Amino acid sequence: MKKLILIVLMVLLTAGLATTASAQDLPYYFQVDKEVVHVYWNSDGSMSLDYTWIFTNQTGSHEIDFVDVGMPNYNFDMSTVKADVDGVPVSVSTSDYQGDGSGFAIVMGNKSIPASGKGTVHVSVGKITDVLYPDDNDETYASAVFAPTWFGSQYVTGLTDFTMTFHLPPDIAPEEPRWHEAPSGFPSEPATGYDSNNRVTYTWHSPTANASSYYLFGSSFPSSFVPADTIIVKPAEPWIDDDTIFSLCCGGFFVFMFLGLPAITAIGAKKRKMQYLPPKVSIEGHGIKRGLTAVESAILMEQPLDKVLTMILFGAIKKDAAKVLTREPLKLEITPTLPEGIHEYEKDFLEAFKEEESPKRKRALQDMMVKFVKSVSEKMRGFSRKETIDYYKAIMEKAWAQIEAADTPEVKSQKYDEALEWTMLDKDYDDRTRRVFNGPVFLPRWWGSYDPTYHPIPTTASSFPASQARPSASGSSSLPGADFAAQMVTGVQTFSQKTIGNINTFTEKITGTTNPPPKPSGRSGGSGRSGGGCACACACAGCACACAGGGR
Amino acid sequence: MNILNRFTENFSKVQPLPAGIHHLQATEDEKPYRLHLRLNNDGSGLLILNAATVLQLNPTAAEYAFHFIKGTEPEEAAKQIAKRYQVDKNTALADFENFASQIHELVSTADLDPASFLNFERVTPHSADSTLRLDCALTYRLPENTQAGYAPVKRVERELSTDEWKTIMDKAWQAGIPHIIFTGGEATLREDLLMLIDHAEKNGQVCGLLTDGLKLADKTYLELLLQTGLDHVMLILQPNDPRSWKAIETIIPEDIFLTVHLTLNRENAAEAKTNLEKLSKLSVANISLSAADNDLVDKLIELQDFASSLQLTLRWDLPVPYSSSNPISIETVDDELPAGAGKAWMYVEPDGDVLPAQGEPDKVLGNFLKDDWEKILKR
Repeated sequence: MKKLILIVLMVLLTAGLATTASAQDLPYYFQVDKEVVHVYWNSDGSMSLDYTWIFTNQTGSHEIDFVDVGMPNYNFDMSTVKADVDGVPVSVSTSDYQGDGSGFAIVMGNKSIPASGKGTVHVSVGKITDVLYPDDNDETYASAVFAPTWFGSQYVTGLTDFTMTFHLPPDIAPEEPRWHEAPSGFPSEPATGYDSNNRVTYTWHSPTANASSYYLFGSSFPSSFVPADTIIVKPAEPWIDDDTIFSLCCGGFFVFMFLGLPAITAIGAKKRKMQYLPPKVSIEGHGIKRGLTAVESAILMEQPLDKVLTMILFGAIKKDAAKVLTREPLKLEITPTLPEGIHEYEKDFLEAFKEEESPKRKRALQDMMVKFVKSVSEKMRGFSRKETIDYYKAIMEKAWAQIEAADTPEVKSQKYDEALEWTMLDKDYDDRTRRVFNGPVFLPRWWGSYDPTYHPIPTTASSFPASQARPSASGSSSLPGADFAAQMVTGVQTFSQKTIGNINTFTEKITGTTNPPPKPSGRSGGSGRSGGGCACACACAGCACACAGGGR
Repeated sequence: MNILNRFTENFSKVQPLPAGIHHLQATEDEKPYRLHLRLNNDGSGLLILNAATVLQLNPTAAEYAFHFIKGTEPEEAAKQIAKRYQVDKNTALADFENFASQIHELVSTADLDPASFLNFERVTPHSADSTLRLDCALTYRLPENTQAGYAPVKRVERELSTDEWKTIMDKAWQAGIPHIIFTGGEATLREDLLMLIDHAEKNGQVCGLLTDGLKLADKTYLELLLQTGLDHVMLILQPNDPRSWKAIETIIPEDIFLTVHLTLNRENAAEAKTNLEKLSKLSVANISLSAADNDLVDKLIELQDFASSLQLTLRWDLPVPYSSSNPISIETVDDELPAGAGKAWMYVEPDGDVLPAQGEPDKVLGNFLKDDWEKILKR
């Protein structure tokens, strides 16, 4: 393999114009805790780069005010270079670059990392051309080789967790590309996989790399995946004379017979095998399940069940199907003829509240929740749980955004009333309500049905206790945002403490039916499950997960 | 294999497993299941679980699926994979065991979301570009006194013979089509129906029957039908016909997957919820819904919600009358899903003509009996 090194230059961390002599005298001395490099070999024959370094600057050393990044050649498009430090954009400059060859400097500015400080520096280069060469072993293949920029050894201490990922051109089948020999200190074969754009990836990783070392990574892929004129062909130069060839032929024959032939056989056996990529399974199915109510979405998002019950209560009250008579104990007056548009779970909820005795009511609420969770499961069958959750989270955020964008307290309150159930999906619901409503919240028309102590005060009143409703110019009553949020949270607590008792016990009784723990498997091998920390056997959609029950 | 072949094999490039279809009917596990593996020319594959769940596999996963279906011992499977791929045996063994575990988990755990819990990537339905189901209209005949609207318009000159249908089953199997649905008209009017199901089952195909169910109320006939190995029945409910309910009552206790289909129309819309409750009380677990009229779409969605609250599972992946207007198609109208008709499934008329789907008589793609499958696919 022709060692066509595409790059790299030593990177020096150079001092900027220091304000004091003492600062200028300090040496650069830092540790690169982590380095992640992504190299994208694009279908137009160009290359894109993405570097992330986590630096820990050493005590008593010079602040890291510039990072020089060496480039493989001079054909990089400076307009595509973007850098940030801890997520804050910083500038880049070719004139500040003080390394050898081509490159640019990241100008850290006020994001410079002080002595003993830590920072994440990220830079991406959108386009570098003239980076591919013919593969010496196969003329139908292009060779893509890259060595990432490294730092001067006098500046670096400690080890680096180093990851290099090659993203091969789109549409390459996994068995087509080949990797080159790995640099010293890295596993002989990279981990193979796909990226989010379904491009084949090769990833080399070493937790004990050195940021001051030169590492060369390479791969080859069929040249048909890039335009032919992007592969640089250099004229061959004779590197050996005829006499030398003759001498080598004589001596080399014996070496070949005893050493070369077995080696070639072994290499041949490996080459004739197909390239291995980890097994990948995709499942055909629908994406987002639309048309769920906020309460159904809450089940899907595994919200605490006391919160879900409170949301159902609000729904019933808003539809004039029920009215709170007392909060402690929670007693409801249920409308004899239920209004149009009431959901089955709301009907079951109200039916449960017809039970006077607490244990019977609790049992009825459990039964109602089991039925409800199962019905959400049925609705979700064939749809993607993850995509659906993301969709409803976006709806929740949109609801908040509309409220936050409202100009006046009246409009804000109106929007809030309209989207109340959606905002309640927010785990940070009460704090966010307090933040958004730093002024008054104009109470919705149904508030009297929720708060039995609520009595609107005539507009002629001149002063109001902090927690008492006050009239607005439009005649509707208001509460300070904090009080309003507190009242809503009280509703959830009422359920938790007064109606269903211990929320974890209540939740467990439901999940025991909807998500029974899996039977221990007699089979060996990993299950492939992702995630962790959750004890419940949450199987799909309507997962009233026990571990999600307590957190509020 | 002679010495020369072995020598040649050791020096030639390893090729993907040959294209074809492989079948497993597992009865030893707690939950019996059927798997069909379709291997493509490029080594990739499709694994179809119980004729319903479609998994797309990369070449490595397809090889593991092949060994899974063949019942290869894990150590031996790993050895063979390591021989064919640039991978060590231990990695291959771990990957094979993980793959097998995922399939077992998918089979045995109800309602598992494979994307969330098995790290499967989701792809859009019908994106595999493979025909997986053939809807065979054996006849366009209908029982006496049945409204003509229950069947497609009669437009064929003759019905294929038993042997001709058997040839079609065989051609379909060779083309890698693992799922056959017998429909009509009324398929039970064909006296050779049992023979045809038996033939397809012996091939290894999953068989379903789309029927008005009236004949299945006859227990003797139902027993014979079950003995063929029929896998599932979709019964088109005629709510006002007591015989339809009687048929459901007869089928329910039997060991067969039953889906009841209700076509919502102006006449039965008011009673639809009552009918769903009645089905639920009869222990029907799976239903299918469609609307005969676009004005009934809202009612259809409401009915879907109601069915969920009764824990009736909605099936939308079977052929139904007026299937273009069903809850899922309404819901996914903005998703730009690849069309399944003419690709994931095809419809064969009583004379062997192939249509993309029922109700598309102007789009004849060829004749399954006379034309090459590849030629039909290209149209």
